[in-house]
Amino acid sequence: MSGLGTTDGPALICGEVRTCLLPTRRAVDERTAVLLLRLRADEPVRTSRRPNRHALSPDVLTGVDCRLPTATGAKVRAVGTVAAHAGLVEGRVLQSTAYFSAPATGPDRRRPWGYYLVRPGSLVPVGRLPEKSVTEGFLTGHQQDLLDVGSIAESLLARISRRHDLLDHDAPLTTTDTSLRWTASPADDGEPASALFTELGSGRRIVELRLPRGTTPVAAATLCEDLALHDWLLTTVGDKLDGLPPGSENQAAAMKVLRPLVDHLLHLWMPQARLDRALSPPWEELERHPGFSRQWNTMAQRIRDQLALQNLVRGEVPALS
Amino acid sequence: MKVLVFAASDKGGTGRSVTSANLAYHRALDGDDVCYLDFDFGSPTAAAVFDLPDVLSEAEGRGLHSYLKGKTGEPLRVDVWARTEHPVLRGRPGGSGRLVLLPGDRTAGEFVTDEENLHRCVDLVLRLKREFDVIIIDLSAGRSYAMDLALAATSPRGGLGRLKNRWLVYHRWTRQHVMAAAELVFGKQGIVQAGTAIGHDPDVLGGSIRFVRAAVPDLESPLWSQVSPAQYAWMRQCDKELEELAAGRGIGRTRVLASIPLEPVLQWQERLITDEDVHDRRIANNETWQAIGDLAQRLTDDKFWGQL
Repeated sequence: MSGLGTTDGPALICGEVRTCLLPTRRAVDERTAVLLLRLRADEPVRTSRRPNRHALSPDVLTGVDCRLPTATGAKVRAVGTVAAHAGLVEGRVLQSTAYFSAPATGPDRRRPWGYYLVRPGSLVPVGRLPEKSVTEGFLTGHQQDLLDVGSIAESLLARISRRHDLLDHDAPLTTTDTSLRWTASPADDGEPASALFTELGSGRRIVELRLPRGTTPVAAATLCEDLALHDWLLTTVGDKLDGLPPGSENQAAAMKVLRPLVDHLLHLWMPQARLDRALSPPWEELERHPGFSRQWNTMAQRIRDQLALQNLVRGEVPALS
Repeated sequence: MKVLVFAASDKGGTGRSVTSANLAYHRALDGDDVCYLDFDFGSPTAAAVFDLPDVLSEAEGRGLHSYLKGKTGEPLRVDVWARTEHPVLRGRPGGSGRLVLLPGDRTAGEFVTDEENLHRCVDLVLRLKREFDVIIIDLSAGRSYAMDLALAATSPRGGLGRLKNRWLVYHRWTRQHVMAAAELVFGKQGIVQAGTAIGHDPDVLGGSIRFVRAAVPDLESPLWSQVSPAQYAWMRQCDKELEELAAGRGIGRTRVLASIPLEPVLQWQERLITDEDVHDRRIANNETWQAIGDLAQRLTDDKFWGQL
């Protein structure tokens, strides 16, 4: 597939990432990860172990013929396929992404399906694509009877969650799922890549990206998955620490909260693990403001301090199962 | 401990919805993340109990019914703490968990269950299981479509078979209600029979069902202190006979999870009873608060569950 903003490439890439804890008691091993993510018989699951363990399913396609959301309410019909894949980080955090790319213009009339099927992951507008309006409309959120990529991503999570032979649905902590909706449009020449990250509350995030010309849809999706994973970690650990009783008051209650964080989440922080180097400026911007890693390090240190304190007070860390 | 709870009753007006909502509220106060699913299609009441007046119209086309039918990808979720008009509930207490309502659609009536909406139901519960400690599903009164769906989903082949699930059957403390509740569970068309027919183990299913007696007159409470000796004796006799009837029908004390006393506030209004109603305004009885608290505790206390 050609890159963003190139002559025959897409003018806009949009998608949504859903992030959740894999519903199992323990993190799963690589073999199980591969079984979970084998969504197609004809393409393998890709795994990597450096710098952390990661498994990525092949893309599955969903045929779509419907209206795109627009800020102005203009009716834009698009036809084609939405690509979706799922990834598993350290056998512990499950993500699914549904995304599509759209060219600036398409044929004036709807073509037969064959025309669209040779462009996997691409939604071709009937006529011209009002990029700005679609970007805004897409980020505003789902409206009834318009394209809903979030539910495509969610259905992939549901499909994986149904693997009862591999999942025990007995997760060690209750966490809120997050959804991150994103759009990527080409940056002008000389303009650095950037990301406008907004937290909407109740687990919803939106990110408006401007990326270098030639960026592939997969690279853009990878960036957003990386952002979504780290935002989810911050949200989850932050929620658990919010209102945590001081260990001095109720040691058992504090341990019950802290222990699963140490066992399952603290080692997952690794920004830009698989990022295309050209796409690191948005991350660096988020590191400066609001300072993702800074907040994470503070929380991780707080957890360790709490545990160290308990250790000092009790002489030993109480064994909790 | 995580638990999936089905709230059922044979008749309407048993206090099923209002007691279940109070149960949800108590668990959330205790720090659990709780979600409440209003499967009472046709007459969803949970929005009113939680004091969410705008939610009924908002849920039109986006509620649980529309979701199960495939008309919307995700059902509407309402954060009760943030949206309620109830003055006490609006300030979410420290240390409390999330309290989320998934409302039903007002206009949608009953419909038949098929594979499609069974899958949607299972997918939704699996997702909510990740996010919540306690999931309460309020079913319509009687043997309803919603109950069939719940039985199918929790059957060994249904996809939720491995989750810990528990049934609360609500009934009032009268002859008709006791007999109807027993019939709903153990009758020919009852939950156990219907469940067994689709693969449930009758003993396991039976062991996961407990009864909640609602609006039970407590003869020792001040409410009845002014009655004549004849009335008192008569009521004692009725109570004794009802207890015998219940025991004979298999729903005696060992199968009762909690008894909620007759509460004037609930007779007048379907609402949540708050700590403030009991201790500051003194409009609700402390016994009611205690009984709902017991119910909330016992929901996940294994001592009260299992085969008898």
